[in-house]
Amino acid sequence: MDKEITAGEKPFVHHHSAHCESGVTSALFRDKGVEISEAMIFGIGSGIFFGHLPFVKWVGLPISTYRSQPGAVFRKAAKRLGGKFVTQRFRNPQKGMDELKRVLKTGQIVGLTTNIYWLSYFPNRFRFQFNGHNIIILREIENGFRVSDPVLDHPVDCLTEDLERARFAHGPMEPHGFMYYPKEIPQNSDRRIACIKGMKDTCNMMLKIPLPLFGIRGIRFLAKRIIKSGDTLGFKEACRQLANIVRMQEEVGTGGAGFRFMYAAFLQEAAELFGSNDLARLSQEMTAIGDVWREFAVVSARVVKQRGHAEDNFSKAGGLMLICAGQEEALFRELHIVARKLKA
Amino acid sequence: MKVNEVPQDITYYEGEKRACYALNDEGKYVIVTSTGWSAEEVVNGLAVEELAANLEETRKAVLKGIKSPLCYHMERRQMIPEILSKTAGMATFRVKRHFRPEIFAKLKLSVLDLYAKALAVNIEELKTVPKSQGR
Repeated sequence: MDKEITAGEKPFVHHHSAHCESGVTSALFRDKGVEISEAMIFGIGSGIFFGHLPFVKWVGLPISTYRSQPGAVFRKAAKRLGGKFVTQRFRNPQKGMDELKRVLKTGQIVGLTTNIYWLSYFPNRFRFQFNGHNIIILREIENGFRVSDPVLDHPVDCLTEDLERARFAHGPMEPHGFMYYPKEIPQNSDRRIACIKGMKDTCNMMLKIPLPLFGIRGIRFLAKRIIKSGDTLGFKEACRQLANIVRMQEEVGTGGAGFRFMYAAFLQEAAELFGSNDLARLSQEMTAIGDVWREFAVVSARVVKQRGHAEDNFSKAGGLMLICAGQEEALFRELHIVARKLKA
Repeated sequence: MKVNEVPQDITYYEGEKRACYALNDEGKYVIVTSTGWSAEEVVNGLAVEELAANLEETRKAVLKGIKSPLCYHMERRQMIPEILSKTAGMATFRVKRHFRPEIFAKLKLSVLDLYAKALAVNIEELKTVPKSQGR
């Protein structure tokens, strides 16, 4: 946790977080004097999700996601906590950069959506063309900006040139220089109502979407595909797809096990807030589910590496995923009942 | 995941650390930094190797005169023709056409300049590929 100074001479404490979007949102709230953790933002913004889109390809591989669509956590959390934000997109990169500099001069820190490939301070092997990384700009420095990237454990410098490329990158989900900063944040908004809203929304998304690609049904769908993938796709292609699923689970700033541990942290915090034993128990169950997801990752990695025990194969990996699906279904059904009983 | 189960197998993030959520001894969630996990190395390694292998193939094709250096530089930036055409402000079919070395060789400086800006390389680099493997 490094101390930093913003352009407005205000101290800024950098918090290391697991996920970029919830980290940025909680930092913007903290900057306005509202102490709120990353996990809390993640839960209130209904960040946890599952989706598998076999027909949408990203570098030739189907997309599997363990969280709601980019931007949703910020939008939902801000709304449920009653915060008013200024959001802007730009057609003209020059105007976008000028506006950023203008806002920074007023002493306000700014959240940006960027392309991760062009952020040169990242380790090289994590730089992929992905247009949904969120960062915070603290102040302007000589030919660059001071950046608080919540995924890294310390603030970094970023060149103006790199930042402009990152903000105005093209491709799927173009950021168009998206920037956001708080206009007005209530100091004592009701967190209990926000938590209940977030939990109910999550349960609906995980259980009630009438398509087999999302929520619990999505997990089952993907698990069955994995079990068959060794035969239908051939070993090499099946490995590529399996590896991609595990990357989405562990790699892209999830705090481990595809956000399941982060959600367990949220449930734990909520349990304290409400003084509810039910939520505390659900948090422990979520942790157990996260451990199964981790095991799935280990087994998958062994399959990909073709080593170790002979019993590690696609059916075992898919089977573990089916266990996750069953346990998560039970958990979210119970959470739905518990959330309805909670008093705001 | 408990605090002592947070993977510290390898230093995988080039000196950076990643945040993980884990339970401490009192059963409370805390953020713990991780230096790398071997399972993650396997799956991410597969993707990185694939990109590197494709890039190397393209580099050889350019040296043989089958493809233009533009194709190599696009792949080095992990782009596809659709993204490059949008970034450079050009039609996709033109970009694909410029992958042919004989057509690429005749391009005007103004067109090369657009590509150089889009790919963040200078024009001299854009006309050539490295003689040996590696970034």
